[in-house]
Amino acid sequence: MAKASARKTPRPQRLAAPRRPETMAKSFTSEPVAIEFADASHRFVRADLEINGIAHGEASYEGRIFLDNPKANAKTPKTIEEGYAGSFNIFGHGGCLGDPGHCDINEHNRDPYDFRAPHPLTLASKRVTVTAALRAAARTKKKATITIVPVVTAANDLCDTKDVFHFERMQFVTYNG
Amino acid sequence: MVTAFRESYRQMQAISDNRGYQYLAGLHGVPSWYCWHHQQNARSAQQMQLFLPWHRAYLYNWEMAMRDRVADVTLPWWDWTLLPPRQSGLPKIFTDAAAPGGGSNPLRSFKVDLPNARPPIVRGTSRSPEAPSGLPTTDDVNDALARTDWNDFTDKLEDIHDSVHGWVSGDMGVVGTAAFDPIFWSHHAMIDRIWWLWQTRHGNGNISADLLDVPLAPFNFRVRDVLNVNDLGYDYAAAAALIATRGKG
Repeated sequence: MAKASARKTPRPQRLAAPRRPETMAKSFTSEPVAIEFADASHRFVRADLEINGIAHGEASYEGRIFLDNPKANAKTPKTIEEGYAGSFNIFGHGGCLGDPGHCDINEHNRDPYDFRAPHPLTLASKRVTVTAALRAAARTKKKATITIVPVVTAANDLCDTKDVFHFERMQFVTYNG
Repeated sequence: MVTAFRESYRQMQAISDNRGYQYLAGLHGVPSWYCWHHQQNARSAQQMQLFLPWHRAYLYNWEMAMRDRVADVTLPWWDWTLLPPRQSGLPKIFTDAAAPGGGSNPLRSFKVDLPNARPPIVRGTSRSPEAPSGLPTTDDVNDALARTDWNDFTDKLEDIHDSVHGWVSGDMGVVGTAAFDPIFWSHHAMIDRIWWLWQTRHGNGNISADLLDVPLAPFNFRVRDVLNVNDLGYDYAAAAALIATRGKG
Protein backbone atom coordinates (compact mmCIF):
# COMPACT_ATOMS: atom_id res chain seq x y z
CA MET A 1 0.00 0.00 0.00
CA ALA A 2 1.51 3.30 -1.06
CA LYS A 3 1.76 5.94 1.61
CA ALA A 4 1.76 9.47 0.36
CA SER A 5 4.39 10.60 2.83
CA ALA A 6 6.74 7.74 1.96
CA ARG A 7 6.91 8.48 -1.74
CA LYS A 8 10.00 9.94 -3.32
CA THR A 9 8.22 12.52 -5.45
CA PRO A 10 10.00 15.85 -5.05
CA ARG A 11 7.81 18.36 -3.27
CA PRO A 12 7.03 21.43 -5.36
CA GLN A 13 7.94 24.88 -4.12
CA ARG A 14 4.30 25.87 -4.40
CA LEU A 15 1.32 23.64 -5.03
CA ALA A 16 -0.35 24.21 -8.38
CA ALA A 17 -4.03 23.45 -8.95
CA PRO A 18 -5.05 19.82 -9.46
CA ARG A 19 -5.74 18.86 -13.06
CA ARG A 20 -7.21 16.03 -15.09
CA PRO A 21 -4.27 13.96 -16.39
CA GLU A 22 -4.32 12.70 -19.95
CA THR A 23 -2.39 9.49 -19.33
CA MET A 24 -4.17 6.28 -18.40
CA ALA A 25 -3.74 4.77 -14.95
CA LYS A 26 -2.91 1.12 -14.35
CA SER A 27 -5.91 -1.23 -14.28
CA PHE A 28 -6.47 -4.21 -11.98
CA THR A 29 -7.75 -7.56 -13.22
CA SER A 30 -8.56 -10.44 -10.90
CA GLU A 31 -8.09 -14.12 -11.54
CA PRO A 32 -11.29 -15.65 -12.97
CA VAL A 33 -13.79 -16.07 -10.14
CA ALA A 34 -16.79 -18.40 -10.00
CA ILE A 35 -20.05 -16.67 -10.90
CA GLU A 36 -22.35 -19.69 -11.10
CA PHE A 37 -24.19 -18.32 -8.07
CA ALA A 38 -25.60 -15.67 -10.38
CA ASP A 39 -27.11 -17.89 -13.05
CA ALA A 40 -30.82 -18.00 -13.75
CA SER A 41 -31.47 -20.85 -11.33
CA HIS A 42 -30.67 -18.67 -8.34
CA ARG A 43 -33.06 -16.08 -7.06
CA PHE A 44 -31.69 -12.77 -5.94
CA VAL A 45 -32.90 -9.28 -6.61
CA ARG A 46 -29.67 -7.42 -6.26
CA ALA A 47 -25.98 -8.15 -6.46
CA ASP A 48 -23.28 -5.77 -5.28
CA LEU A 49 -19.53 -5.82 -5.71
CA GLU A 50 -18.07 -4.67 -2.41
CA ILE A 51 -14.51 -3.41 -2.39
CA ASN A 52 -12.87 -2.92 0.99
CA GLY A 53 -9.65 -1.33 2.15
CA ILE A 54 -9.42 1.25 -0.60
CA ALA A 55 -6.65 3.83 -0.23
CA HIS A 56 -7.81 7.37 -0.95
CA GLY A 57 -4.83 9.50 -0.02
CA GLU A 58 -3.86 10.75 -3.41
CA ALA A 59 -5.68 11.29 -6.75
CA SER A 60 -9.44 11.26 -7.27
CA TYR A 61 -10.76 8.79 -9.79
CA GLU A 62 -13.70 6.90 -11.19
CA GLY A 63 -13.26 3.15 -10.86
CA ARG A 64 -15.01 1.46 -13.79
CA ILE A 65 -15.91 -2.17 -13.20
CA PHE A 66 -15.89 -4.62 -16.10
CA LEU A 67 -16.78 -8.30 -15.85
CA ASP A 68 -15.12 -10.81 -18.16
CA ASN A 69 -13.33 -8.11 -20.12
CA PRO A 70 -9.69 -8.01 -18.98
CA LYS A 71 -8.73 -5.80 -21.92
CA ALA A 72 -11.05 -2.99 -20.86
CA ASN A 73 -9.45 0.42 -20.60
CA ALA A 74 -10.50 4.04 -20.18
CA LYS A 75 -11.78 4.15 -23.76
CA THR A 76 -13.95 1.04 -23.51
CA PRO A 77 -17.64 1.94 -23.83
CA LYS A 78 -19.60 1.74 -20.60
CA THR A 79 -22.05 -0.80 -22.01
CA ILE A 80 -23.23 -4.16 -20.76
CA GLU A 81 -22.02 -5.69 -24.03
CA GLU A 82 -18.49 -4.74 -23.01
CA GLY A 83 -19.06 -6.15 -19.54
CA TYR A 84 -19.42 -2.76 -17.89
CA ALA A 85 -21.09 -3.29 -14.53
CA GLY A 86 -20.96 0.12 -12.86
CA SER A 87 -18.56 2.61 -11.32
CA PHE A 88 -17.47 3.87 -7.95
CA ASN A 89 -15.85 7.24 -7.31
CA ILE A 90 -12.97 8.08 -5.01
CA PHE A 91 -12.68 11.63 -3.71
CA GLY A 92 -8.95 11.62 -3.07
CA HIS A 93 -7.10 13.45 -0.33
CA GLY A 94 -4.79 15.08 -2.88
CA GLY A 95 -1.45 13.83 -1.60
CA CYS A 96 0.21 14.66 1.68
CA LEU A 97 0.00 18.33 2.52
CA GLY A 98 1.91 18.04 5.74
CA ASP A 99 5.19 17.15 7.34
CA PRO A 100 6.62 13.61 7.12
CA GLY A 101 4.26 11.16 8.80
CA HIS A 102 1.18 13.36 8.51
CA CYS A 103 -0.53 10.87 6.22
CA ASP A 104 0.59 7.64 7.91
CA ILE A 105 -2.67 6.05 8.99
CA ASN A 106 -1.45 3.99 11.97
CA GLU A 107 -5.02 3.34 13.20
CA HIS A 108 -4.31 -0.23 14.27
CA ASN A 109 -1.54 0.77 16.67
CA ARG A 110 -3.53 3.35 18.57
CA ASP A 111 -3.89 3.28 22.33
CA PRO A 112 -7.34 1.94 23.35
CA TYR A 113 -7.82 5.11 25.39
CA ASP A 114 -7.06 7.33 22.43
CA PHE A 115 -10.52 8.77 21.80
CA ARG A 116 -9.52 11.19 19.11
CA ALA A 117 -11.30 10.92 15.76
CA PRO A 118 -10.03 8.25 13.37
CA HIS A 119 -7.35 9.21 10.89
CA PRO A 120 -8.94 10.83 7.83
CA LEU A 121 -7.16 8.38 5.55
CA THR A 122 -8.59 5.28 7.20
CA LEU A 123 -9.20 2.93 4.29
CA ALA A 124 -12.57 3.16 2.55
CA SER A 125 -15.17 0.71 1.31
CA LYS A 126 -17.34 1.01 -1.76
CA ARG A 127 -20.25 -1.09 -2.98
CA VAL A 128 -21.55 -0.98 -6.51
CA THR A 129 -24.74 -2.65 -7.67
CA VAL A 130 -23.78 -4.92 -10.57
CA THR A 131 -26.92 -7.05 -10.90
CA ALA A 132 -27.53 -6.71 -14.64
CA ALA A 133 -23.93 -7.21 -15.76
CA LEU A 134 -23.41 -10.14 -13.41
CA ARG A 135 -26.56 -11.88 -14.63
CA ALA A 136 -25.51 -11.28 -18.23
CA ALA A 137 -22.05 -12.75 -17.64
CA ALA A 138 -23.46 -15.76 -15.78
CA ARG A 139 -25.69 -16.65 -18.72
CA THR A 140 -22.70 -17.80 -20.74
CA LYS A 141 -19.82 -18.23 -18.27
CA LYS A 142 -19.12 -20.11 -15.09
CA LYS A 143 -16.17 -17.88 -14.25
CA ALA A 144 -15.35 -14.25 -15.03
CA THR A 145 -12.58 -11.81 -14.31
CA ILE A 146 -13.21 -8.54 -12.51
CA THR A 147 -11.38 -5.59 -14.03
CA ILE A 148 -11.19 -2.18 -12.37
CA VAL A 149 -10.22 0.64 -14.72
CA PRO A 150 -9.37 3.78 -12.72
CA VAL A 151 -9.91 7.00 -14.65
CA VAL A 152 -8.20 9.83 -12.78
CA THR A 153 -10.37 12.92 -12.49
CA ALA A 154 -8.15 15.20 -10.40
CA ALA A 155 -4.55 15.06 -9.24
CA ASN A 156 -2.05 17.65 -8.07
CA ASP A 157 1.74 17.45 -8.19
CA LEU A 158 1.83 15.38 -4.99
CA CYS A 159 -0.26 12.56 -6.49
CA ASP A 160 0.75 9.43 -8.37
CA THR A 161 -1.48 9.38 -11.46
CA LYS A 162 -0.46 5.99 -12.85
CA ASP A 163 -0.81 3.59 -9.94
CA VAL A 164 -3.88 4.82 -8.10
CA PHE A 165 -6.10 1.83 -7.23
CA HIS A 166 -5.03 0.05 -4.05
CA PHE A 167 -7.40 -2.16 -2.09
CA GLU A 168 -7.44 -5.09 0.33
CA ARG A 169 -10.27 -7.32 -0.88
CA MET A 170 -13.46 -7.49 -2.92
CA GLN A 171 -16.46 -9.78 -2.91
CA PHE A 172 -19.89 -10.18 -4.46
CA VAL A 173 -22.86 -9.82 -2.12
CA THR A 174 -26.35 -10.85 -3.21
CA TYR A 175 -29.70 -9.93 -1.70
CA ASN A 176 -32.84 -12.02 -1.92
CA GLY A 177 -36.16 -10.32 -2.40
CA MET B 1 -31.03 36.61 -4.14
CA VAL B 2 -27.94 36.10 -6.32
CA THR B 3 -26.79 39.61 -5.56
CA ALA B 4 -26.91 38.99 -1.80
CA PHE B 5 -25.26 35.60 -2.25
CA ARG B 6 -22.41 37.08 -4.27
CA GLU B 7 -22.00 39.97 -1.86
CA SER B 8 -21.76 37.68 1.17
CA TYR B 9 -18.90 35.77 -0.49
CA ARG B 10 -17.19 38.99 -1.53
CA GLN B 11 -17.22 40.21 2.06
CA MET B 12 -16.18 36.86 3.56
CA GLN B 13 -13.28 36.61 1.13
CA ALA B 14 -11.99 39.96 2.37
CA ILE B 15 -11.83 38.78 6.01
CA SER B 16 -8.66 37.05 7.13
CA ASP B 17 -9.70 36.07 10.66
CA ASN B 18 -11.90 33.21 11.84
CA ARG B 19 -15.05 34.80 10.42
CA GLY B 20 -13.65 34.74 6.93
CA TYR B 21 -13.79 32.53 3.88
CA GLN B 22 -10.28 31.11 4.11
CA TYR B 23 -10.52 30.11 7.76
CA LEU B 24 -13.88 28.37 7.35
CA ALA B 25 -12.99 26.71 4.05
CA GLY B 26 -9.74 25.55 5.63
CA LEU B 27 -11.61 23.48 8.19
CA HIS B 28 -12.46 20.93 5.49
CA GLY B 29 -9.02 20.08 4.11
CA VAL B 30 -5.75 21.94 4.32
CA PRO B 31 -4.81 23.14 6.91
CA SER B 32 -7.25 21.76 9.51
CA TRP B 33 -8.57 18.46 8.06
CA TYR B 34 -11.77 18.07 10.05
CA CYS B 35 -13.96 16.65 7.28
CA TRP B 36 -15.56 13.19 7.42
CA HIS B 37 -15.55 10.97 4.35
CA HIS B 38 -15.30 7.30 3.51
CA GLN B 39 -16.63 5.74 6.75
CA GLN B 40 -13.48 6.16 8.89
CA ASN B 41 -14.13 3.05 10.97
CA ALA B 42 -10.91 1.11 11.26
CA ARG B 43 -11.04 0.45 14.99
CA SER B 44 -14.68 -0.42 15.39
CA ALA B 45 -17.32 -2.65 13.86
CA GLN B 46 -19.55 0.42 14.04
CA GLN B 47 -19.87 2.07 10.65
CA MET B 48 -18.87 5.66 11.36
CA GLN B 49 -20.75 7.10 8.44
CA LEU B 50 -20.72 10.72 9.47
CA PHE B 51 -20.29 12.18 6.01
CA LEU B 52 -23.81 13.63 5.87
CA PRO B 53 -24.14 14.88 9.49
CA TRP B 54 -20.68 16.43 9.49
CA HIS B 55 -21.28 18.33 6.27
CA ARG B 56 -24.71 19.50 7.46
CA ALA B 57 -23.07 20.98 10.56
CA TYR B 58 -20.45 22.56 8.31
CA LEU B 59 -23.05 24.08 5.97
CA TYR B 60 -24.99 25.46 8.93
CA ASN B 61 -21.92 27.27 10.26
CA TRP B 62 -21.05 28.47 6.77
CA GLU B 63 -24.48 29.92 6.15
CA MET B 64 -24.45 31.63 9.54
CA ALA B 65 -21.15 33.24 8.57
CA MET B 66 -22.72 34.37 5.30
CA ARG B 67 -25.62 35.93 7.20
CA ASP B 68 -23.21 37.71 9.52
CA ARG B 69 -22.16 39.59 6.42
CA VAL B 70 -25.48 39.96 4.56
CA ALA B 71 -28.63 39.57 6.63
CA ASP B 72 -31.19 37.06 5.30
CA VAL B 73 -28.92 35.72 2.57
CA THR B 74 -29.38 32.00 1.88
CA LEU B 75 -27.08 29.43 0.34
CA PRO B 76 -28.51 28.17 -2.97
CA TRP B 77 -28.07 24.53 -3.96
CA TRP B 78 -26.53 23.56 -7.28
CA ASP B 79 -28.88 21.04 -8.86
CA TRP B 80 -26.47 19.25 -11.18
CA THR B 81 -29.32 17.03 -12.48
CA LEU B 82 -30.88 19.92 -14.37
CA LEU B 83 -30.74 19.66 -18.14
CA PRO B 84 -30.70 22.33 -20.85
CA PRO B 85 -32.24 24.81 -21.34
CA ARG B 86 -32.36 25.31 -17.58
CA GLN B 87 -28.71 24.56 -17.03
CA SER B 88 -25.75 22.97 -18.73
CA GLY B 89 -22.89 22.04 -16.45
CA LEU B 90 -21.64 24.73 -14.09
CA PRO B 91 -24.24 27.44 -13.41
CA LYS B 92 -23.38 30.72 -15.07
CA ILE B 93 -23.25 32.66 -11.80
CA PHE B 94 -20.20 30.55 -10.86
CA THR B 95 -18.39 30.97 -14.17
CA ASP B 96 -18.85 34.63 -15.09
CA ALA B 97 -15.46 36.31 -14.99
CA ALA B 98 -16.81 39.61 -13.73
CA ALA B 99 -19.50 40.46 -11.24
CA PRO B 100 -22.33 42.70 -12.42
CA GLY B 101 -21.28 46.25 -11.75
CA GLY B 102 -17.59 45.45 -12.08
CA GLY B 103 -14.87 43.65 -10.23
CA SER B 104 -14.03 39.96 -10.25
CA ASN B 105 -16.75 37.42 -9.54
CA PRO B 106 -16.28 36.00 -6.00
CA LEU B 107 -18.32 32.94 -7.00
CA ARG B 108 -15.85 31.98 -9.72
CA SER B 109 -12.61 31.66 -7.78
CA PHE B 110 -11.02 32.34 -4.42
CA LYS B 111 -7.44 33.42 -3.86
CA VAL B 112 -5.98 30.92 -1.39
CA ASP B 113 -3.23 32.37 0.79
CA LEU B 114 -1.55 29.58 2.74
CA PRO B 115 2.18 30.36 2.57
CA ASN B 116 2.89 28.09 5.54
CA ALA B 117 1.22 24.99 4.09
CA ARG B 118 3.60 22.25 2.96
CA PRO B 119 3.93 22.93 0.11
CA PRO B 120 2.63 26.53 0.14
CA ILE B 121 -0.63 27.27 -1.68
CA VAL B 122 -0.83 30.86 -2.83
CA ARG B 123 -3.02 31.18 -5.92
CA GLY B 124 -6.58 31.37 -7.17
CA THR B 125 -8.73 28.25 -7.31
CA SER B 126 -9.48 26.75 -10.72
CA ARG B 127 -11.69 24.08 -12.29
CA SER B 128 -11.48 21.65 -15.19
CA PRO B 129 -15.03 20.39 -15.72
CA GLU B 130 -16.05 17.58 -18.05
CA ALA B 131 -18.98 17.60 -20.47
CA PRO B 132 -22.35 18.11 -18.75
CA SER B 133 -23.41 14.59 -19.74
CA GLY B 134 -20.99 13.29 -17.11
CA LEU B 135 -22.97 14.72 -14.19
CA PRO B 136 -25.30 12.57 -12.05
CA THR B 137 -28.85 12.26 -13.33
CA THR B 138 -32.29 12.30 -11.77
CA ASP B 139 -32.24 8.50 -12.05
CA ASP B 140 -29.08 8.40 -9.95
CA VAL B 141 -30.72 10.55 -7.29
CA ASN B 142 -33.91 8.49 -7.35
CA ASP B 143 -31.85 5.32 -6.99
CA ALA B 144 -30.32 6.76 -3.81
CA LEU B 145 -33.66 7.98 -2.47
CA ALA B 146 -35.20 4.52 -2.93
CA ARG B 147 -32.68 2.88 -0.62
CA THR B 148 -34.21 2.29 2.80
CA ASP B 149 -31.10 1.25 4.72
CA TRP B 150 -29.12 4.16 6.18
CA ASN B 151 -25.72 2.69 5.38
CA ASP B 152 -26.80 1.83 1.85
CA PHE B 153 -28.26 5.30 1.29
CA THR B 154 -25.39 7.32 2.69
CA ASP B 155 -22.80 5.27 0.80
CA LYS B 156 -24.70 5.78 -2.46
CA LEU B 157 -25.15 9.50 -1.91
CA GLU B 158 -21.52 9.92 -0.92
CA ASP B 159 -20.47 8.21 -4.14
CA ILE B 160 -22.66 10.59 -6.17
CA HIS B 161 -21.03 13.43 -4.23
CA ASP B 162 -17.58 12.05 -5.01
CA SER B 163 -18.39 11.89 -8.70
CA VAL B 164 -19.35 15.58 -8.83
CA HIS B 165 -16.08 16.58 -7.17
CA GLY B 166 -14.27 14.59 -9.86
CA TRP B 167 -16.45 16.08 -12.59
CA VAL B 168 -15.56 19.64 -11.60
CA SER B 169 -11.89 18.63 -11.06
CA GLY B 170 -9.29 21.33 -10.37
CA ASP B 171 -9.30 22.32 -6.72
CA MET B 172 -12.80 20.87 -6.23
CA GLY B 173 -11.38 17.53 -7.29
CA VAL B 174 -9.39 16.70 -4.17
CA VAL B 175 -10.28 16.84 -0.47
CA GLY B 176 -7.39 19.09 0.46
CA THR B 177 -8.48 22.14 -1.52
CA ALA B 178 -12.12 21.47 -2.49
CA ALA B 179 -13.76 23.82 0.01
CA PHE B 180 -11.82 26.81 -1.28
CA ASP B 181 -13.77 26.61 -4.56
CA PRO B 182 -16.89 28.77 -4.19
CA ILE B 183 -19.06 26.13 -5.84
CA PHE B 184 -18.21 23.61 -3.11
CA TRP B 185 -20.88 25.02 -0.79
CA SER B 186 -23.71 24.89 -3.31
CA HIS B 187 -22.72 21.36 -4.28
CA HIS B 188 -22.96 20.35 -0.63
CA ALA B 189 -26.27 22.15 -0.24
CA MET B 190 -27.56 19.84 -3.01
CA ILE B 191 -26.22 16.80 -1.15
CA ASP B 192 -27.77 18.05 2.09
CA ARG B 193 -31.08 18.61 0.29
CA ILE B 194 -31.11 15.04 -1.05
CA TRP B 195 -30.49 13.74 2.46
CA TRP B 196 -33.44 15.84 3.67
CA LEU B 197 -35.64 14.48 0.85
CA TRP B 198 -34.66 10.98 1.96
CA GLN B 199 -35.50 11.87 5.55
CA THR B 200 -38.96 13.07 4.54
CA ARG B 201 -39.56 9.60 3.07
CA HIS B 202 -37.76 7.35 5.51
CA GLY B 203 -37.26 9.38 8.68
CA ASN B 204 -33.82 8.71 10.07
CA GLY B 205 -34.01 5.11 8.93
CA ASN B 206 -31.87 2.70 10.86
CA ILE B 207 -29.08 5.13 11.65
CA SER B 208 -27.35 3.63 14.68
CA ALA B 209 -28.22 5.06 18.07
CA ASP B 210 -24.52 4.75 18.88
CA LEU B 211 -23.81 7.52 16.40
CA LEU B 212 -26.24 10.07 17.76
CA ASP B 213 -24.01 11.56 20.43
CA VAL B 214 -20.84 11.61 18.38
CA PRO B 215 -19.54 15.20 18.31
CA LEU B 216 -19.09 16.82 14.93
CA ALA B 217 -15.84 18.65 15.59
CA PRO B 218 -15.07 21.51 15.47
CA PHE B 219 -18.71 22.53 15.46
CA ASN B 220 -20.99 22.85 18.46
CA PHE B 221 -23.14 19.90 17.38
CA ARG B 222 -23.61 16.19 17.93
CA VAL B 223 -25.14 14.03 15.21
CA ARG B 224 -28.59 14.15 16.82
CA ASP B 225 -28.53 17.97 16.72
CA VAL B 226 -28.43 18.10 12.92
CA LEU B 227 -30.97 15.45 12.00
CA ASN B 228 -33.82 17.92 11.51
CA VAL B 229 -33.09 20.88 9.27
CA ASN B 230 -36.16 22.69 10.61
CA ASP B 231 -34.50 22.69 14.04
CA LEU B 232 -31.59 24.45 12.38
CA GLY B 233 -33.88 27.10 10.95
CA TYR B 234 -34.07 26.15 7.30
CA ASP B 235 -35.90 23.93 4.83
CA TYR B 236 -35.64 22.78 1.23
CA ALA B 237 -38.06 22.78 -1.66
CA ALA B 238 -38.97 19.20 -2.56
CA ALA B 239 -38.94 20.02 -6.26
CA ALA B 240 -38.72 22.94 -8.61
CA ALA B 241 -40.64 23.14 -11.85
CA LEU B 242 -40.06 25.42 -14.82
CA ILE B 243 -43.36 26.46 -16.32
CA ALA B 244 -42.90 27.92 -19.77
CA THR B 245 -45.42 30.53 -20.75
CA ARG B 246 -46.10 32.47 -23.88
CA GLY B 247 -47.65 35.84 -24.06
CA LYS B 248 -47.18 39.44 -24.70
CA GLY B 249 -45.36 41.80 -22.53
